[in-house]
Amino acid sequence: MQIPRGWEATRPHPLCNSEEKMAKEPPKQRAKYVKRIKWVFYAPGFSLNLVFGWYPLILGLIVGFQAYYLIRPSEFVGFTNFQDIFYDSLTPIVFRNTLYYTALQIGLVFFVPIIISILLMEMKKSTIRIMMILWFIPIAQMAGIIIWKWFYSVDYGLFNGILTTLGFPTSQWLNSARIAMLCLVLPGLIMFGPGLIYIATLQNIPQELYEAAELEGTSLWQKIWHITLPRLRPIIAMMMLLSIIGNMQVFTQPYVMTGGGPGSATYTIIMQVYTLSFTNLQFGKGGALALILFLLIMVLIIIQRKYFKENIDV
Amino acid sequence: MPLIPQVGRKKIKLRLLLGAIIGILWLGIILHLFPVYWMAITSIKPYHELMKMPPTWFVHKPTPYVWRLIFSPFRVPGLTTGNWILVPLKNSLILTLGIMVIQVPATAFVAYALSKLESPQWERIMFLFFIGTMLLPFQIALIPRYLLLQCFPFASRVPPMIPFTNSRFPRINLLDTYWAVILPSAYSAFSVLLFKGHFDSIPDELINAARLDGAGEFSIFGKIVLPISRPVIAVVSYFSFSGAWNQFMWPLIVFKDPNLYPLPVTLYNIQNMYLATGYASELAEQAQEISSLEQPMGWNLIMVASIIQAIPIFIMFIIFREELMRGIKLRGFK
Repeated sequence: MQIPRGWEATRPHPLCNSEEKMAKEPPKQRAKYVKRIKWVFYAPGFSLNLVFGWYPLILGLIVGFQAYYLIRPSEFVGFTNFQDIFYDSLTPIVFRNTLYYTALQIGLVFFVPIIISILLMEMKKSTIRIMMILWFIPIAQMAGIIIWKWFYSVDYGLFNGILTTLGFPTSQWLNSARIAMLCLVLPGLIMFGPGLIYIATLQNIPQELYEAAELEGTSLWQKIWHITLPRLRPIIAMMMLLSIIGNMQVFTQPYVMTGGGPGSATYTIIMQVYTLSFTNLQFGKGGALALILFLLIMVLIIIQRKYFKENIDV
Repeated sequence: MPLIPQVGRKKIKLRLLLGAIIGILWLGIILHLFPVYWMAITSIKPYHELMKMPPTWFVHKPTPYVWRLIFSPFRVPGLTTGNWILVPLKNSLILTLGIMVIQVPATAFVAYALSKLESPQWERIMFLFFIGTMLLPFQIALIPRYLLLQCFPFASRVPPMIPFTNSRFPRINLLDTYWAVILPSAYSAFSVLLFKGHFDSIPDELINAARLDGAGEFSIFGKIVLPISRPVIAVVSYFSFSGAWNQFMWPLIVFKDPNLYPLPVTLYNIQNMYLATGYASELAEQAQEISSLEQPMGWNLIMVASIIQAIPIFIMFIIFREELMRGIKLRGFK
């Protein structure tokens, strides 16, 4: 292979084993070349992330302070939009609903894939593959939501059918303001878990750790608590963060299953942002609400980062 | 089998525990797959069986007439002017493949540069630049992104004036084009994380050895890094496919033309119209004319569409199962 200029002198003699040192200190020319070429690697992702990621994100901070018109350019209106949001009687409801939904998701659904992954590791080598495939077969989101809507149907639904067969009184499910939100969360229990993310980490935990613990007579729960969970911790922390961010911005499930009803029992913040901006075309007001949501999520993230550290402390 | 000790497996208590675990897992699998079964049987149930209460667990008289509607001139009022399900399927495929084709290489390049080419003092900043959009709640960018696509590249409803003249800057309206969905999703921080987790595990010595031989960075990437990255490419492709395939809110916002709707939006609309009583009978009459069957149409139509939406993602999973089963290496944000 052609050796570039400037390399001949520093190239190690085959008998001289200084390659490691070489690897750590590449010559200046190479460093310059790497410095330039890395921008070629960055270019597509960098421009996409800049134009469609950061640019709108930063604009999002000012949209709330503006009023938008059909033919005139937008203008700044100070805190008017925030005042409107503040006096809107729907605002406290959507915030309460969204927080409730997120709490249910984190409390009920979030830990299911983790538990399943840990249990799957107990299976024999021969069954584990088929079980993993069956467990993690994905079901398209919209199809899944719609079949559950049909399950919940009051007149023809499966759940009421089972209740009648067993002789219990039927339930209103999605039509009952009291349990509608819970019904939105339940499909997550068996439908959309990101279990595959945890499997890799679990597979990499050295077997010796468990064997050593066994010799000391450690109980099952202690093994999970002291060996398995600390090693899953960084991934759990990250997935929880993403889960909080994602669930606070929930839209599809309530929009399709209940449309925000009954009344406004499942009406979420992003649904309100959607209605304000894309139905009423009040972009400023929608932007103001989105900004408040943004700040709320940032607060939640800070709390989560503070109390759920990523470090392994064994 | 790390938790339950190997030696004492014959103890009755441990046996019971193992049995319980197996029971829970199989029960979960059955529950997980049950909705798919229900979709399948609902799509072929005759009307009187559909409206039975309590519902029947098996189909007594399978009538797959709704499946015949796929290749018929049947159309849902207010939706596509073409075929009711094949046109949305085509749209979904175009959008999803478009996103995949841009996202997978672009994020691989970014992750490789972050992992192997970045100087230590800039590494953290560049990492935050590329990952930050995932850590910040993105819906704040919902409205600006819409305005940006409407009036590209100005992000307002009316472009600003060119200074000292009476005319405005030219602009492109990307709404109601496929680009409106493809471009904003073409970059994904999550894919960068997946790629970076893998590239970080490739020893620097391997790459430096190639550098000593005078190989350019692109040939190192193409000849050394890519061949050992097949599993992670598969994983990223799968995640990018399923993310794009399930997109609902964004297409709902940017597409006004029903002929561009991808499957999830179409599915939602059909389902919505069906529940609005006026449409239901209209749809049913039309279906009867085409399939010349003397029964009204129930949820069959929605279920057929659901199954068609579920199949491609299922196929992708089967294709990439080997790589996915091996697990996904993620390293957190540090």
